[in-house]
Amino acid sequence: MPRPIWSGSLSFGLVNVPVRLMSATRDLGVHFNQLHEKDMSRIEVRRVCTEENEEVPWEEVGRGYELESGEVVMLTDEELEAADPKKTRTIDIEAFVDLEEIDPVFYDHPYYLVPDSNEAAVRAYHLLRTVMERSGQVAIARFVLRTKEYLVAVRTRGDAITLTTMLFHDEVRSTEDVGIDKLPKAKKAEVDQAVTLVKSLQRDFDPNNYEDEHRKRLLAIIDQKRKGQEIEIPDEPETPKAVPDLMAALEASIQRMKSGGRNALAADAAAEQNDAAALKRLPKKDLLARAKEASIEGRSQMSKDELVEALTAS
Amino acid sequence: MAARSLWNGAIRFGLVNVPIKVYSAASSKQIRFRELHVKEGAPLEHRRVCGKEDKEVPFDEVVRGYETSPGRYVVLTKDEIQAPARERGKTIDLEDFVPADQIDPMFYDSPYWLGPQKDSDEAYSVLLAALERTGLVGIGRFALRTREQLVALYPVDGALRISTMRFHDEVIDDDDLDLPQPAKKVSDREAKMADALVSSLATEFDPTEYEDTYRERVLEVVEAKAQGRQIVAPEAAADDESTDLMALLEQSVSGARKTKKPKAKARKTKASA
Repeated sequence: MPRPIWSGSLSFGLVNVPVRLMSATRDLGVHFNQLHEKDMSRIEVRRVCTEENEEVPWEEVGRGYELESGEVVMLTDEELEAADPKKTRTIDIEAFVDLEEIDPVFYDHPYYLVPDSNEAAVRAYHLLRTVMERSGQVAIARFVLRTKEYLVAVRTRGDAITLTTMLFHDEVRSTEDVGIDKLPKAKKAEVDQAVTLVKSLQRDFDPNNYEDEHRKRLLAIIDQKRKGQEIEIPDEPETPKAVPDLMAALEASIQRMKSGGRNALAADAAAEQNDAAALKRLPKKDLLARAKEASIEGRSQMSKDELVEALTAS
Repeated sequence: MAARSLWNGAIRFGLVNVPIKVYSAASSKQIRFRELHVKEGAPLEHRRVCGKEDKEVPFDEVVRGYETSPGRYVVLTKDEIQAPARERGKTIDLEDFVPADQIDPMFYDSPYWLGPQKDSDEAYSVLLAALERTGLVGIGRFALRTREQLVALYPVDGALRISTMRFHDEVIDDDDLDLPQPAKKVSDREAKMADALVSSLATEFDPTEYEDTYRERVLEVVEAKAQGRQIVAPEAAADDESTDLMALLEQSVSGARKTKKPKAKARKTKASA
């Protein structure tokens, strides 16, 4: 079980449930260490006091806030907690809302709430979980984690209660903030075709359909390098251009989806843009089908790489 | 003033390309603190030190290695590390379109706005309108900086937005938590009373009703300390000792009824399928 990163209570009316907060994610990223090229030893990042020029142990690291005057005010954990002791210890449920009303832009990090093991805590936890599941509602609460206050959404997932930190409304940028201008009105005929194409690519969402291909590729490259093989570095990619005739591209996509399905459509798109990497991600049989249409000779004898090369050369 | 874009590329679905620009949609207002040495309040510096030589190492002598077994590293160049992201190129490749309500919010990570490029606002409008009409969300992949991400593409406020997403194996399953079960089951009376409390707090979600008040209060503490005042944390109020769940719920419901804000309007109970 992951380690708790916070403990306190979840408060619902006058009911207080002692809980611990655990991250709901695990880090599977491929991480590299910094090494000193000369002797291949690990680089340590040390905190050094600029006055004493000596390494500072973790217990002696304090926190300072710089005022506009340049003066730096040091704050202890206790002083920081004094800013709002209640919010530092309590996740206070303020309202219940429908999940669909929350724009995903607000979501930050997901956690699980786990009750203390005494019977009173466990029962109150299960009561809250049961009524939330039944009503389909999400609790909105606030609390302080480390040095930041978060708005949070408290929900159920299986037997557990989850907490997702959210941003405050003033931490979210609007379309005006980033300067997305007014758009031309879409032509109905084109939208109709786009809807047909989008619907033909519809399926149910199953997170298991999507594997982290990047992680696999990077680990494969590390393995090649370990064996002393040379790593092929792709060129800086170019930005694809807009299609000259949107209606024609939509219609051709719909036709291709009907006649060949997803992979045939993906193979056409990749071949048209000379995107070798996208072709390599497809099964060989779809490349063969595309090669047949392009009348590439000798295709039945070709390896996958040779097919990719022939398709991007034509 | 228009913000600067982080990335330029194109959304690709079928044989259609829609060139776009990517902008960050979030900007944290977290108070930034500096690390200080508690002894004399001097600022701290982070230094890269070679463990073997015990000497500071200039950045151009640092390489990046992946540890294959303790103490053994495979060194990769920057280009090699970036190779997988480059293979993805400058496209957001949409693979599927899925109903928005099937995505658990736990999968969402960072949000970004997409703006059209000069020559693509027509195609952008068409894709936006198609997503608005179908209620579907595009699922695709794109490489931002050195990392390829799974993304969800959806329409909001007359524009397209993407959220990067976590992969299924990056989200911990609730079965792994080993949650304790109550010895005595929740009674109908308790559940009914808790339902009443949930209903009394039901409202519509309006993000502007919630302000970050902590930020201000920390700044007040900083100000007070700068003026030399002593900061004392108030004693924590003793937690309610009562463990009579039913009594606490009853009191909560009658309290909520009395203090109910007029704008928190009661919602209709959803018909369960």
